[in-house]
Amino acid sequence: MKTIQKLIFTTSIAAFLFSCDNTDDLTPTLPLEVTMVEDLAAPNDEIDRTTGEVVVARPFQFFSLERNELVTENEDWDLAFKGTTIRVNNTKNVEAAIVNGIFEEISEVPANATFRTDSENTFAIPTGSGSGWYNYNSATFTVTPIPGRVILVKTTEGNFLKLEILSYYKGNPPVEEINPRTTPSGYYTFRFVLQTNGTSKF
Amino acid sequence: MIRFNLNKISILFFLLLSEVSFGFSMQEEKKIIDSSGKPIPHALVKLEGQKALLVDERGMVSLDQTAEKIIVYAMGFESLQLTWEEWESKNLITLLEKTGNLQEVVVSATRTERSVEQLPMPVTVLNTEQIQNTGGVRLSEVLREQTGLQITSNHGSGLQMQGLDSDYILILLDGEPLIGRTAGTFDLDRISVSNIDRIEILRGPSSAIYGSEAMGGVINIITKSYQNKSDLTLGLRHRSFNTWNPYFELGVGKDKWSTQIFLDHLQTDGFDLTPEIVGQTQNPYQASTAQVKVSGILSEKFTLNLFARGYGENSQGILQTNGNAGAEILDLDNRRRDFNFNPTLRFKPNAEWTFTLRGMSSWFSTLSQSNFRTSGEIFEFQEFDQFFHRTELQTDFMANSKNLITLGVGQLIETVEATRYDDLNRFDAGYIFLQHLWDPIPKVNIVTGLRADFHSQFGNRLSPKISGQYQISDNFSWQASIGAGFKAPDFRHLLLNFNNAAAGYYVFGANLAADGISRLQEQGLVAQVLINPASIGQLNAETSRAINTGFRWKPSSNSQVIVNAYRNEIDNLIETAPIAQLVTGQNAFSYFNIRSVITQGLEVDAQVSLLENLSLSAGYAFLDTKDLEVIQQIENGELFKRNAQNQTRRVTRSDYGGLFNRSRHTGNLKVNYREKHSDIDFALRAIFRGKFGFADLNGNLILDDEREFAPGWISYNITASKTFGNGIFLEAGGTNLLNTMTAAQPNNPGRVLFLGIKLPILNLLNK
Repeated sequence: MKTIQKLIFTTSIAAFLFSCDNTDDLTPTLPLEVTMVEDLAAPNDEIDRTTGEVVVARPFQFFSLERNELVTENEDWDLAFKGTTIRVNNTKNVEAAIVNGIFEEISEVPANATFRTDSENTFAIPTGSGSGWYNYNSATFTVTPIPGRVILVKTTEGNFLKLEILSYYKGNPPVEEINPRTTPSGYYTFRFVLQTNGTSKF
Repeated sequence: MIRFNLNKISILFFLLLSEVSFGFSMQEEKKIIDSSGKPIPHALVKLEGQKALLVDERGMVSLDQTAEKIIVYAMGFESLQLTWEEWESKNLITLLEKTGNLQEVVVSATRTERSVEQLPMPVTVLNTEQIQNTGGVRLSEVLREQTGLQITSNHGSGLQMQGLDSDYILILLDGEPLIGRTAGTFDLDRISVSNIDRIEILRGPSSAIYGSEAMGGVINIITKSYQNKSDLTLGLRHRSFNTWNPYFELGVGKDKWSTQIFLDHLQTDGFDLTPEIVGQTQNPYQASTAQVKVSGILSEKFTLNLFARGYGENSQGILQTNGNAGAEILDLDNRRRDFNFNPTLRFKPNAEWTFTLRGMSSWFSTLSQSNFRTSGEIFEFQEFDQFFHRTELQTDFMANSKNLITLGVGQLIETVEATRYDDLNRFDAGYIFLQHLWDPIPKVNIVTGLRADFHSQFGNRLSPKISGQYQISDNFSWQASIGAGFKAPDFRHLLLNFNNAAAGYYVFGANLAADGISRLQEQGLVAQVLINPASIGQLNAETSRAINTGFRWKPSSNSQVIVNAYRNEIDNLIETAPIAQLVTGQNAFSYFNIRSVITQGLEVDAQVSLLENLSLSAGYAFLDTKDLEVIQQIENGELFKRNAQNQTRRVTRSDYGGLFNRSRHTGNLKVNYREKHSDIDFALRAIFRGKFGFADLNGNLILDDEREFAPGWISYNITASKTFGNGIFLEAGGTNLLNTMTAAQPNNPGRVLFLGIKLPILNLLNK
């Protein structure tokens, strides 16, 4: 345990030094604000493990990225969360695309990004391990956001936004501290940058 | 020169002896002993210009003639030359053991008997003494102490060799394959070691003679045989975790027939590495083995061998499930059964030709059931029944002393019936293999092999291999081999029909995928088919190409160094991939040939006998593994990782740690010491396993973060044993004395102490 703590300590120092260097070099020109959303609770339905039947159905949690708050289904929501499933508001023409890259480095919407909305049977943000935003590790029973996956969203207002999911577990814990049996899951921590001037640059 | 059968030669001497032993003995009897004072019953005494004489079973011999020089020799010992005066002056003649096991006979490498030093491929033999030194009761405990071998924990204790998993290693028992794998792993804990005579470890692809599964290597377990001797042995071994292992061994060897009966029972309370979680890491289990071996000489030209073995295992445990009504306890009940029957008939019409007809039938079944403790209702029930039959005719033709040609033709049937498979499924296959052992000049040995497999499911496969050895001097020889290996898709890959109700996903074997998808489509469950349906069901064998090269060097008469370097390139590795997205958001999966990996490394074994009662050995293995697709993704800048603060950055080539569960560095140091006054043998071993990746933590599913490694550790083991004059054997010792445990190694229970006794009943009664 002690070695692990030391390890974390050294890696965090290294990361700190690294990030210091980065900010010096980058000198960002666009002062767009990064919004952090912590522990958005969106637990999944409860499922009977033997039959696969839904025992307790849970609602989707509707979120407006424009207003940075939870809203009702009738309002202008952008994304809806339940378990590992993320829907986009297809009635309000919200679209999403998934790109690979480092969040900070994505300075504009790439030309090859294909925006889609949800249909009855398909999701703009695909579900399932490895295909959308997360990996399920069957050895550790853990859901972790795929590093480098950035979700681009065209909001209800037609604005572009980049979003990165950081954690599926309550308190945004470091992955090695997640105990799939005890750490509450279905708690989204994510950050996003919204461009309100109508351009596709961040 | 090709030695076809060394045992036969000693039988010949036996016959000679019976003729001379009636003669009047002029001389005093001499006793041939080893350095520990034990008689050597297979020693030979040769008078100059005469035929050699075999000593009796007490190691005694008397000469009825004189000669100027006398040579005393025995397999495994340095030969000793004496003048007549020297012979006369001694009552006890001590032969020194040869260092290393280069004299040991190996059957599995070429399907004919050859000594290690004649073989051009990397082979190691563990003899009875080395097996005994480990104090192990199960095969996993013996193999884990050997250089370059690892025991991994995945549905049982599987063997890892040259960085390849249990799926790719063929396990033979007396030369016949053992079946019964769970998720690809052959559980080495099914094999008791009490009646094992020796173990042959053959590294590198051996598909050229064994076909599928022998892609990484072969382990051949050879059980004891009784030729012209009888023995009744009772043994009892006890160890930590309330583990008891009584066994019984009866061997009757008389004239032309010999029979061996072996019974073994093992029971243990198991152990628990995570007491805070309901249920044990290893559940209590009871396992019993019964084995009967009969061999007989039917006539001058015919010999018959019958082998039957049965194994049964029961385990019980509990598990906690978090259902809707809160936590509930599940009672687990698992059963495993295994039965083999192998008759072999050998016809040897003359010195040149040998025909061997082998039959081999195996049944393997598992049953696992879990019930809710409160309601008694079944939570899960699973059955698996597998049958395997093989008939093979092997023809050996010794064209001359330099050429031995082997031709094998075989046919096999395999059936499986299981809860997760539909119907009873059957595979049919046939094969033919050809091998040429060629010693063009005395210093060179060349083995060429080619095998063709014809399979009803995945088509045909050709596996070539060529190995060569050059004996540069008496003390140094160089070996090299190039070969191809393959592993056929197993039942799971082809036939699985699995629906995880809780998570809502489906897994279809390649044969069932097209049907499975159309059935889900009819039910309106498919949102989107992700791959071209025409490519479904096209599952090929996994293939490998490998090179092995190294040397065997004897720097002095009491030391030995063996080195082997290897590289395995494996293509078409079978993995699951999604084939359709379902309306629930989950996926349906099937199996595809996806990955390519490389394993390469270097293995070194060195041995030295410092004194007649003290020897040292050291082993080191370096292993480098990589997934080529991952390397490609890293080079394309497509792989990212997160640090402890969940910040993202690109994975670099230096971050990548290769495949999970592989240690880059492993090694061992062994000391064998005999204390002269008490005659107690001490075997001290330090077994090192370097750090290895155990699980992905940063979400990208590859090994690229220090946090994803389990720390390296050293297991200090000691065994003390003594064989008394009357044959009683006692042992005591412990493994993992420092009690090092890690959750990344669930098959390591921590410190284990043991005690054992072995009683040679017949020997005791005769005294």
